[in-house]
Amino acid sequence: MSVTGGAAVAGRHAIAITVNDVPRRATVAARTSLLDCLREEWALTGTHAGCEHGVCGACTVLLDGRPARACLTLAVQADGARVTTIEGLAEGDRLHPVQEGFWECHGLQCGFCTPGMVLTAVHLLETNPAPTEIEIREALAGNLCMCTGYQNIVAAVAWAAARLRERSATP
Amino acid sequence: MTLHAATDGWVGRPLRRVEDPRFLGGRASYLDDLRLPDLLHVAMLRSPHAHARLAAVDVREAAAMDGVAAVLTGEDVAGAMEPLRPLIPIPNPPRTYPLAVGKVRYVGEPVVALAARDRATAEDALERVRVEYEPLPAVVDPERALDPGAPRLFEEMESNALWRDVLTYGDVEGAFARAAHVVRERFTIHRYVSTPLETFGVMAQVEPGTGLVTIWSNDQRPGLTSGVVAAALGIPQSRLRLIAPDIGGGFGNKRKAPYLIVAAMLARATGRPVKYVEDRRESLAALCHAANGVIDIALALDADGRFLAVHVRDVVDEGCNLQNPTLHSLLKLSNIIGCYGIEAVRFEAAAVLTTKCPSGANRGIGKPAMCFALERIVDVAARRLGRDPAALRAANLIPASALPYRTPVGAIYDSGDYPETLRRALALAGYEGLRRTQATARAEGRLIGIGIAAAIEPSTSNLSSYMLATRRPGTSGVGEAALVRVELDGSVRVATGNVASGQGYPTAIAQIVADELGVAPSAVSVSPWFDSHENPWMFSSGSFSNKFSGTDTGAILGAARAVRDKLVTVAAHLLEAAPGDVVVRDGVLGVRGAPGRQVTVAEVATVAYRDLLALPPGMAGGLEARHYYVSPLADVPDADRRVAVQLTFSNSVHVAAVEVDRATGAVRIAKYAIVHDCGREINPRIVEAMVHGSTAHGIGATLLEEFVYDAEGQLLTTTFMDYLKPTALDVPPFEVVSLESPSPRTPLGAKGVGEGGAIPSLAAIANAVEDALAPLGVRVTALPLSPARLWEAMTRAGEGRGA
Repeated sequence: MSVTGGAAVAGRHAIAITVNDVPRRATVAARTSLLDCLREEWALTGTHAGCEHGVCGACTVLLDGRPARACLTLAVQADGARVTTIEGLAEGDRLHPVQEGFWECHGLQCGFCTPGMVLTAVHLLETNPAPTEIEIREALAGNLCMCTGYQNIVAAVAWAAARLRERSATP
Repeated sequence: MTLHAATDGWVGRPLRRVEDPRFLGGRASYLDDLRLPDLLHVAMLRSPHAHARLAAVDVREAAAMDGVAAVLTGEDVAGAMEPLRPLIPIPNPPRTYPLAVGKVRYVGEPVVALAARDRATAEDALERVRVEYEPLPAVVDPERALDPGAPRLFEEMESNALWRDVLTYGDVEGAFARAAHVVRERFTIHRYVSTPLETFGVMAQVEPGTGLVTIWSNDQRPGLTSGVVAAALGIPQSRLRLIAPDIGGGFGNKRKAPYLIVAAMLARATGRPVKYVEDRRESLAALCHAANGVIDIALALDADGRFLAVHVRDVVDEGCNLQNPTLHSLLKLSNIIGCYGIEAVRFEAAAVLTTKCPSGANRGIGKPAMCFALERIVDVAARRLGRDPAALRAANLIPASALPYRTPVGAIYDSGDYPETLRRALALAGYEGLRRTQATARAEGRLIGIGIAAAIEPSTSNLSSYMLATRRPGTSGVGEAALVRVELDGSVRVATGNVASGQGYPTAIAQIVADELGVAPSAVSVSPWFDSHENPWMFSSGSFSNKFSGTDTGAILGAARAVRDKLVTVAAHLLEAAPGDVVVRDGVLGVRGAPGRQVTVAEVATVAYRDLLALPPGMAGGLEARHYYVSPLADVPDADRRVAVQLTFSNSVHVAAVEVDRATGAVRIAKYAIVHDCGREINPRIVEAMVHGSTAHGIGATLLEEFVYDAEGQLLTTTFMDYLKPTALDVPPFEVVSLESPSPRTPLGAKGVGEGGAIPSLAAIANAVEDALAPLGVRVTALPLSPARLWEAMTRAGEGRGA
């Protein structure tokens, strides 16, 4: 069932996006999604296409610090923005506490939803450092996971919240 | 039975998964992440009709478009290959191809495939393809599809029936004749599917010089797919290299040889590599669905409430499935008596074609539906007899002392304590307390219900069982293959014919091999991907029917033990000791009673590969073994058609407490308790997560998910906005307790766990909802229990018309 964009696209657009603190440029068609731009132009394949209609959240990235569906965002809309993808979270081999939490609590199975889940959780903990279980579930309700039944994901986010609070309490 | 048996070695420890960091860092390699120079992208034109004659397919304008490299129609494909080879052959199968020829038979069936410089161009080009369809009547209802006058999908077949049969085990007539009670119900089974978050895909490349075809695909059954694809392409299997990278979930759905064939043909036609990845609508409409159908079930009970016999009439709607029909029928035989000592069974099977998406393997295949019908009818019986549903179950469970237990169908239940599982589940849920709460709540007018389901979880399919339907030999038994190799530096590499899609195989395998070779799991590197030119494999290789514990463990142990034997033999030679005195621990081979006399695994490996003259005289070099394990538990159907359809049997009891909102029909799960027993747990952390995930699948299927076809065969649910998956707010926290009754019949005592939650959860929640609505007299005979369906049922009940 192909979704087609109508007539061939005439113009192409030069864009500049800072991805994971690295300035990047590309010339894309107007209809190119941010997801395709990240994956095809810059080979950042950690951002995944799950449904391409904005429901599953697998393609979630942080766009100027807020979670966004990369499949529903046009690359031209992100021109000039700062984007964080899953590849930008760890510092070298040192995982971000949310990534660590997913590992510790077995919050992933096939791993396909994980990048979107992790970035959504990172944003949650930036805005709410001590979420309750229901707040975690509400925050993650826009991200589908087909493997885990969510229980270990919720535990992973709670684990990460505790770790981050510990860190900020340590001078 | 023990609660979390202690472990000496690595098997049994809840290790973190070794494979996780690359997934967490976005560095996995899923199919769509793979790239080749000069890659073309494929899009497929799919039928908008359920059933239509193809009067004309004109691709000239599309083929002429800038950026389009090649176009394939059904006629092109039919001219280039023999018809698709069915995996479960029905007599005189019709000729079918990867693209529609002559007719289309379901919405979403591929009609034209084309390759272009990028996916958007390919999809633009599809708009230039002109197809004239002459619509034909759709066949949507499986029972109507069996009518002699129903429109036929294949004119060359006598009817739409793929398989009709009656299998009788034990004295069914006698049991029903002497029964004090017979309870009957008719259940409608709906269509749903597991929807792995990564869709199916393929990348294909043909080397012009050698003609070698390399196909990358997230296919879960490479052993079976390889033969189908090679035959279609007219090449020997030795010239086909099939690679499976990381798989983003599978649940049985990911096997679609026709797409691999189309991709390879386009690669051949263009001389360039091509890639095709389903979009979500294509995946929902055309990959595969769990079969829907109708189950009429009758249970005979004596005056004391003992179950005497079960009679199941099962109509399975296969959709347009000619590749592996009858699976949803046959697998019901493996759990048709559940955990109960029912000694007589009749199974009337009908597998029928309709103009819908082909049915296919989906977590549990048929067993969730069978468990749903059986556990629902047990509740119906309890209500009829005025018995507590927990007590009626307890009275009929097979006692632990009766195991191993041969079922009338021919399966052997290997280990477990079903009554204890029920007792613990009731305790975990606080059953008595829940009943008291329910009584209070009912008095206040609230609709609270408690549902129990006791389930057997059969695993490791015996492929001989297909003979029940095909009545001819050819495929039998089941096995898996593994390679264990100690490298020159003492590190260990393992590869198997199975493909991981989230089950944690690399970690579990490392644990098993570490114990056998006396090394740490970190020294064991498991190939994360399947490669038919690297990994050992056989026809039954791949991920299906929970077979890891039944066959893969045997292959891994077989190869590891052969390597260990050679390690010991060479070490004994080097140490001038008797092999029986050599002990292996922590990567060191020592001599019992002679401290200090030792060699490391790496030193032995150096001898095996490099210092060859230090080997025992006449011994071959190398420190590697392959093992092709064949399960000794498989049999073939006997004269009475008894056969072990599946080979090992886990069990569980789920208890759910729900509240139904009288005003909206919404169901809230207030408590969900699970006690399960899958034998020895190789990695308890992975096991428990499997229980969570598979139970969530059942919850989605019970409350939310449904493929809805209208009377014209149009699919109305093709996005995640109308095919609803459970979110973190829909799935409740689970309370899980595991028992461990090691199987005496599997290589490590382990049994299947991947399907466990998906089998009883439908029945547990449905029983709870019917119990909640008991004051209104509403019967639950169909799923999903959507707010609309329940609201309507409550409203009708209120109007005195019944549901």
